Amino acid sequence: MPIANVAALGATRKMLGFSRSTVKFEGGTVADLLRQLPTLDGSCLYERLVCNGKLRSDFAIVVDGLSLKADQLDRQLHGDEQVVTMAIIRHLAGG
Amino acid sequence: MATTRTATRSQGRWIPSTCGMCLHGCGIKVYVENGVALKIEGDPTNPDNLGKLCPKGNAGLARLYDSTRVLHPMKRTNPKKGLHEDPRWVRISWDEAYEIVARELGKVRRDDPRKLLCALGDFQRILFWGWPAVFGSPNFFTSLGNYCGGSYHPVNGCVDGSFAAINDYEYCNYWIQIGSGDGFSSHLHLSGSAKRMADARMRGMKVVSLDPRCSVASAKADEWIPIIPGTDRAFVLGMAHVLIHELGRYDRDFLRDHTNAPYLVKEDGDYVRDASGKVQVWDLKANAPHAWDEAPSGSMALEGTFSHQGIKLRTGFQVWKDILLENTPEKMAEVTTVPASTIRKIAKEFVDAAQIGATMEIEGKTYPYRPAALNYYRGSQSHGNGLFDNMTFKLFNMLVGNIDVPGGHLGVPLDHRGFFVSPGEDGMLKPEPHQLHPAPPFKYPPDSSHLMEWFPIGFDAGHLNAETLLNPERFGLDYRPEAMLIYHSNPWWNMPETDKIEEIFQQMKFVVAIEIQETESTQWADVFLPDQTFLESTLLNCLEPPAVTGHSLRQPVVKPLGDTRDPYDILTELSERLGFRDDWNDLLNVVCGFTAKPQYLLEPEKRHSVDEFWDRYARSIYGEEKGLEWFKEHGHAVRYRTPEETYLAYGSLRIPFYFEFIKRTGDEMRQKFAEVGLQDWPLDNYKPLPFWKNSQVIEDGKAGYEFYAITFKESLHTFADTMVMPWLTEVSEKDPIHGGILINSVTAGKLGFKTGDPIRLTSPGGSIEGPVQVVEGIHPQVFGVSNAITRDVVTNKQVKLRGTHFNRLLTGSMKYTDSATGGLESTARVRVERVKR
Repeated sequence: MPIANVAALGATRKMLGFSRSTVKFEGGTVADLLRQLPTLDGSCLYERLVCNGKLRSDFAIVVDGLSLKADQLDRQLHGDEQVVTMAIIRHLAGG
Repeated sequence: MATTRTATRSQGRWIPSTCGMCLHGCGIKVYVENGVALKIEGDPTNPDNLGKLCPKGNAGLARLYDSTRVLHPMKRTNPKKGLHEDPRWVRISWDEAYEIVARELGKVRRDDPRKLLCALGDFQRILFWGWPAVFGSPNFFTSLGNYCGGSYHPVNGCVDGSFAAINDYEYCNYWIQIGSGDGFSSHLHLSGSAKRMADARMRGMKVVSLDPRCSVASAKADEWIPIIPGTDRAFVLGMAHVLIHELGRYDRDFLRDHTNAPYLVKEDGDYVRDASGKVQVWDLKANAPHAWDEAPSGSMALEGTFSHQGIKLRTGFQVWKDILLENTPEKMAEVTTVPASTIRKIAKEFVDAAQIGATMEIEGKTYPYRPAALNYYRGSQSHGNGLFDNMTFKLFNMLVGNIDVPGGHLGVPLDHRGFFVSPGEDGMLKPEPHQLHPAPPFKYPPDSSHLMEWFPIGFDAGHLNAETLLNPERFGLDYRPEAMLIYHSNPWWNMPETDKIEEIFQQMKFVVAIEIQETESTQWADVFLPDQTFLESTLLNCLEPPAVTGHSLRQPVVKPLGDTRDPYDILTELSERLGFRDDWNDLLNVVCGFTAKPQYLLEPEKRHSVDEFWDRYARSIYGEEKGLEWFKEHGHAVRYRTPEETYLAYGSLRIPFYFEFIKRTGDEMRQKFAEVGLQDWPLDNYKPLPFWKNSQVIEDGKAGYEFYAITFKESLHTFADTMVMPWLTEVSEKDPIHGGILINSVTAGKLGFKTGDPIRLTSPGGSIEGPVQVVEGIHPQVFGVSNAITRDVVTNKQVKLRGTHFNRLLTGSMKYTDSATGGLESTARVRVERVKR
């Protein structure tokens, strides 16, 4: 069973109720991991972050430093990867 | 006296640090003796500024020890607010200050967090600009950067994933400078750039400067060409006409193989695609369309009009070539007042110098060599059609194939991360118009008061607040901001339509300022939280480095004066008291890039110290061995960019000659506005290629505004801070160009004005008054106002108030805003009258 080191930031931290956790999960893809991360509202992170099989545009997932594209949830995790989940903040003041 | 001083100095030490007198952060060393900073010099080990320092940097001690600094938290006791209303400050503790701010902002946050309006101007702490976002507010209330770069930055991001641009100091031989102080008086890393420019001149580089005023660059150039403000694009379109239609000299290989210039487009402006969706080019051998990545390069048509299945097709290059037909030097001369013969002469000199076809080898790799380039900045492109200005200047450079090659026009990255390079569609580099944050999706009603959701390729057009906040219903805004946070920003000074800005200030129920000194804007503050100067605080800085990369450390060289605090501490404490420190830490995790190296992630539940935060930031970039302690000892990790990092960093990806991405974005915006029933929002600048059209400023001439007014700055001053520093104002007061409203001697003679006469300039937006300063070096149709004379509230009694605030002449409405980028028009049409003494 693979292990992923999950860091949940911002909105996803509030969904999951934790900020850091080492998670054992069945299967081998990022999607599998998300399905096995229960959220506080009784759902799972996959249900909250994924729409029609693709990562919603207002969220981001970083695996070992690389940001996944929306259609890359089938990315294989072999174990011990660092997975960061977060909401995208679009209104950073700039100038 | 000298002997005593020398003897005492031996007890002191030099501490490496980073200048904070502008955003770019030159390396410095500060001599400190007995806890007192006595001297600042450029750090010769830092390749960014090469040991040089500008007047602002040399005057840094005057900011640290300015007797009018605010050194303790204060609260207002005068409920009446206004520009010249004494706030009647009383000193309070930090705890009381935080308690007041948390209470008032807490009320706003519970009601509707969008009701907080933030003005953030501390560029060196750009990592902290997301604080309003974690508060819950999308609003941005200042046009500090938009004033200069509203159109500039998005176009750079679209062309090569850069944030800014500069010509290649090292290899350029012919440098056209348009409305910019690069290498002479301002913009990118002045101290080092001035040295690089001087070196280039010594080896024989020629400089031609276009500017309405005989700026420092113009005065030192081989040739100064005075021009009507905001018509630089017409001059360059005229030169492009000469290259294409008269001389027939342009880099066909570059345009065909490295841009989308050969891609076929239909009459509606869209690409021609085959059934599988692939963009087509015209295969000259087959005399038929062919997929762009399958046609042999040698048979790909760069130009031409073709017919296929009864449909007229042109290459992107041909479309611009056809546009340029009407931009003859004679016609452009009428617009610019630059003689047609001069346009032809400069165009020929430029293409002669470009050496199209030449190559050079650097470190074993062969690059195209194009030692001629056109450089530009605010004066030439901060206009109502700024998108077209920027596109024109880029395309002109592309005509000789000089983009990102030795000798040419080089992208400058936003920071240490380098160019934003990733594959886009159709073989193109992915356009990155937004590098400070992702573009928010279209929304109606909008969330942000500066309508960010309506500018998908634009910057944060803070000046639009002057329109939206006084008429929120007109823009669909269903709330009205009630509180303001000012963090090292002076929106009263840096925004157009000053009267409206004052009205917005008056509407605020609560204003908190994090500042070093009182400003015009802090006149409305209820609580003043005293910031530390760059000689008392900590950060790592790397912003828009033109030749180098890597961070430089700002570190406290003396004990902070009074009871001031580092803004990291202030914002963290406010986050804690407002109940979102966890979100603040997570935001910093994202913007600092800790998500890519999770071992450095800030724990949401922990309060990290200033040093701990910057230590993690340093180690996340430079590795475990280069934490904050390493930087404290060495000062910086700045190094020259390698040729691979500088030249053609995007490899074989094509860059846009035909800005199809912008055209397509405009089409999508039209559809979205139509869906919500907003038909009258201007979207006319979403065009794939630039052309000439009169700006609103030119049109204003028909309403009796005979002259033009411009503002300018020299190396003495930037932003608002330096104009209240006695050391610097004493110098600028001795220079006549900062003595009043500049007017050409011929025009002054016709109008009967002489130096010292009080006059009033009136534009469609407002009016200003000041004394005449007759000079030779300004276009006869132009009035010039130095930024040195624009401040209106100064607490230091040694500084003379001038109050000739140029921005009062500007208008912040959409008529004076680029409809695609949100870039602001920085020139005004004016009429002039004598004022009775």
